[in-house]
Amino acid sequence: MKKIILLLFCISFIQFVISQISNVIPSSTSIAQTSVADRHSWNAFHNPAMLGYLEKSELGLQYENRYLLSELSTRSVQVGFSSKLVNAGVSYSHFGYSLYHEMLTGLALARNFSDKFAMGVQFNYYAAYFSSTNSYRSALLTQVGLSARLSPSFSIGFNTFNPFQTIIITEYNIKRIPGIFSLGSEYFFSPEFVWRTQIDKEVSSNYRFATGFEYQMLQHLTIKLGAYDSGYLVPCLGFGFNAGSFIADLNCELHPFLGLNTMAAVKYRFGK
Amino acid sequence: MKHKSISLLCFLILFSFPSGAQDAITTTEQLIADIFEQYTAESEDDIDYDPFYEELIFFSQNPINLNRTLREELERLPFLSETQVENILSHVYRFGPLQSIYELQLIEGLDMTDIRRMLPFVVVGEASEPGRKIYWHDLLQYGKHVLFLRFDKGIETKEGYRFFPEEDVNPAEESGKKYQGNSLYHSLKYRYHLKDKIQVGINAEKDAGEPFTGTMQKGYDFYSGYAQINDIGKVKTLVAGDFRANFGQGLVLRPEFGMGKSSYVLNVTARNSGLKKYGSTDENNFFRGAGATLRLGKIDVTAFYSNKMIDGDTTNGSFSSLYKTGLHRTIAEMNKKHTINQQVLGGNATYTHLNFQIGFTAVHTILDNRLEPDKSVYNYFYFSGNRQTTAGFHYRLRWQKLNFFGETAMTDNASMATLHGFSFSPLSQVSLVALQRYYSPQFDTFYATAFSESSRINNESGFYLGAEIRPYKRWKIAAYADSYRFPWPKYGIDAPSVGKDYLFQTDFAAQRNLAMFLRFKYEEKQSNLSETGAVMPVIVPVQRASLRYNLTYSFGSFSFKNVLEGNLVRRAKPDQTYGIIASQDVSYTFLSIPLKFDLRFQFFDAVNYDNRFYSYEKDVLYAFSIPMYFGLGSRYYFNIQYAFNNRLSLWFKIAQTVYADERESLSSGNETILGNRKTDLRFLLKCDF
Repeated sequence: MKKIILLLFCISFIQFVISQISNVIPSSTSIAQTSVADRHSWNAFHNPAMLGYLEKSELGLQYENRYLLSELSTRSVQVGFSSKLVNAGVSYSHFGYSLYHEMLTGLALARNFSDKFAMGVQFNYYAAYFSSTNSYRSALLTQVGLSARLSPSFSIGFNTFNPFQTIIITEYNIKRIPGIFSLGSEYFFSPEFVWRTQIDKEVSSNYRFATGFEYQMLQHLTIKLGAYDSGYLVPCLGFGFNAGSFIADLNCELHPFLGLNTMAAVKYRFGK
Repeated sequence: MKHKSISLLCFLILFSFPSGAQDAITTTEQLIADIFEQYTAESEDDIDYDPFYEELIFFSQNPINLNRTLREELERLPFLSETQVENILSHVYRFGPLQSIYELQLIEGLDMTDIRRMLPFVVVGEASEPGRKIYWHDLLQYGKHVLFLRFDKGIETKEGYRFFPEEDVNPAEESGKKYQGNSLYHSLKYRYHLKDKIQVGINAEKDAGEPFTGTMQKGYDFYSGYAQINDIGKVKTLVAGDFRANFGQGLVLRPEFGMGKSSYVLNVTARNSGLKKYGSTDENNFFRGAGATLRLGKIDVTAFYSNKMIDGDTTNGSFSSLYKTGLHRTIAEMNKKHTINQQVLGGNATYTHLNFQIGFTAVHTILDNRLEPDKSVYNYFYFSGNRQTTAGFHYRLRWQKLNFFGETAMTDNASMATLHGFSFSPLSQVSLVALQRYYSPQFDTFYATAFSESSRINNESGFYLGAEIRPYKRWKIAAYADSYRFPWPKYGIDAPSVGKDYLFQTDFAAQRNLAMFLRFKYEEKQSNLSETGAVMPVIVPVQRASLRYNLTYSFGSFSFKNVLEGNLVRRAKPDQTYGIIASQDVSYTFLSIPLKFDLRFQFFDAVNYDNRFYSYEKDVLYAFSIPMYFGLGSRYYFNIQYAFNNRLSLWFKIAQTVYADERESLSSGNETILGNRKTDLRFLLKCDF
């Protein structure tokens, strides 16, 4: 019982300290979570417009561990289907453990318009377990994303998650689901070296400013470096491995108070 | 080779360098302003600029031959980043010796601003020179002697010089609290060097207030001397007298200023390793004895021994703190002089092979009295005792475009400090650096200086990211972000705390004679809200944001500089205080006579101490002014330089600060000046023979 209370306290404290947008939204493979303008990688629940750039169907698995506590981990899976008319994607994310958890399931549709811009919409089903009533409560959320390529090397992206600020009300709790607005940019100094920036605003939290660099050092190896500030400055370091159809990413973030946050993701792209 | 010749020809046609040599002193002064202004604002201690300045002036007279240089030598130019140093060395290694200075433009990571900055200090010479023996008559024939004589005087009388025995109840006791000497500062420096092979120096200094004659003290208060020989056979360096020893990233040994956070965002690694003669008038951070470095193939082995007296408030075989100001003006200060004997034995072995270097450093310190700090929370883990051993490993590794560096050190109480990082330049326009550090609260040594937020290498962990981007010609963007944590309370912060720093600077060199930059800096630290030592300490974030615009331009023999800076400080919401400073500098160099003068007028309005400003000023040769301003007032100075002939030069400076915030006195204690003005005179004579 003490452990449960302590964990619930930790979760709420961590939510306060890190001002994280939402634990159930998995971190992106883009360094410092600058994914809203990342046209080369579709990340579940980040910017559905990026699904429009998918050229091959893919399957992705991701595991994120926060601050060395398994109870604060997020697991997610995403599947993207590429077609000529419109791309579709299904994603699922689970945060927490048996006594406290949240789940998010999404169905996304996106289309790329001649590589000039892309648009995507995602319908999310959010469910949370409330121990006070020993039951699940759920809500439907929407998410809209845009991406525009302003020049061969520069593009911007926009995303809004739960713009209507849906909430869940139980007999004892009001669970506010974050409403997030994100705007970002991506600039390629060269095909191997990219710089991304992003601003996020969760309606009732601080702004989050993020920036990151990714450099493809070798044919199969990418090194990533970045930082974000959401009240605390969090530096980020990551690596990407590309072995043909398999892509693996490993990102780490170092919170000055809470410690290390690690994320590992593997994707498989179908077809040649 | 053909491609190289065509490239050279193209650049010769397209570009041209100034026909005359750059003014080394102007470049050096600008560098000092860029680096030290920011560092002084961050540091709790006084910065010793002498070695830095002296070294750059030495290189201006004995430029580095880029075709024969080593990494250690190039790293002594502080404006070159790790990547730039690597690129220069790599270029010479891959393509052969540089044919001309213009070829620098072909080196990745060097733009016109960097090259112009380098020009006073480098030369493209022969790739190999036959070794030449040095004979005794060479010392007399080719050696250069320089003598400096400097005097400083404050015009207004300070409290420390006011003594009215007829008014004091206990005149004898009161007399002891006053300054025992007069208000004149003077110093004497002698330097001799034979190229870069042999260097000899003597310093003598008397601070204002210290006696020069009388029963308590005869002559100067501080004497220093050294003799250094370089590159004679297997002896890489041999030094006797006063010297410094710097190795690795500074976690074990680096008793001097180290590059911290500044607008040179990539320059975070420690440089200038090895034994170096000590020629500053700082009376503390040096060793006194002898040391030698032998080059045994790929291994450099260094050993040194130091034995000197240091200052401290010794009582019954122990003392609570080291007295580091070097001031011996009152009876109490003079009683602290040279009361503790310090012996230091240290060494280093470094193996270097192409892209890899690894080294081991160890130092053992013995004091004849025990250091017993007055224990409080913040200094609970500070060193106490009379013996300490510190040792550590350091390394460098270059792989692909990545340069790794780091050091891990440990003291004999098993406390650890570690620093690791890497820099890389994926493109010529972009360079990045990342650095992680962890200094445990128990790690407290005498001679460590490394990258850190605070001046003490202790009780800190953090991660630093820096980036420099040159998106277009003449433009440069530099930025850094540093996140850090103090896991144990610090002085003025009675609980573990965190902080963060940002800097964003854009430089634009519109033309050769017009340059500007805009700098934004933001810091957030925590500080006590409650009284120090409160049972339930309360700490609050203190946020400081500053914006600075700097413009330099020249027209004929005139050169100008404008600075406008403002800051906002918020200590406890919602109150915030502001500060503004603006200055206009004018310099003029006469063409027909060897005369140059500098003028400045400056206005400042800083509401309180948190809004204070630091502003570098031109001064007499080898003197450094980065005064601090807060309150409301103005400052001006007039600096003049005249060369009588090739051998004799004179510098003179007069400066005055006038406060307009109705204060009736300045400073405190013995430094108190009645009134609202402070005027200083400075005079330096330089004689070459």
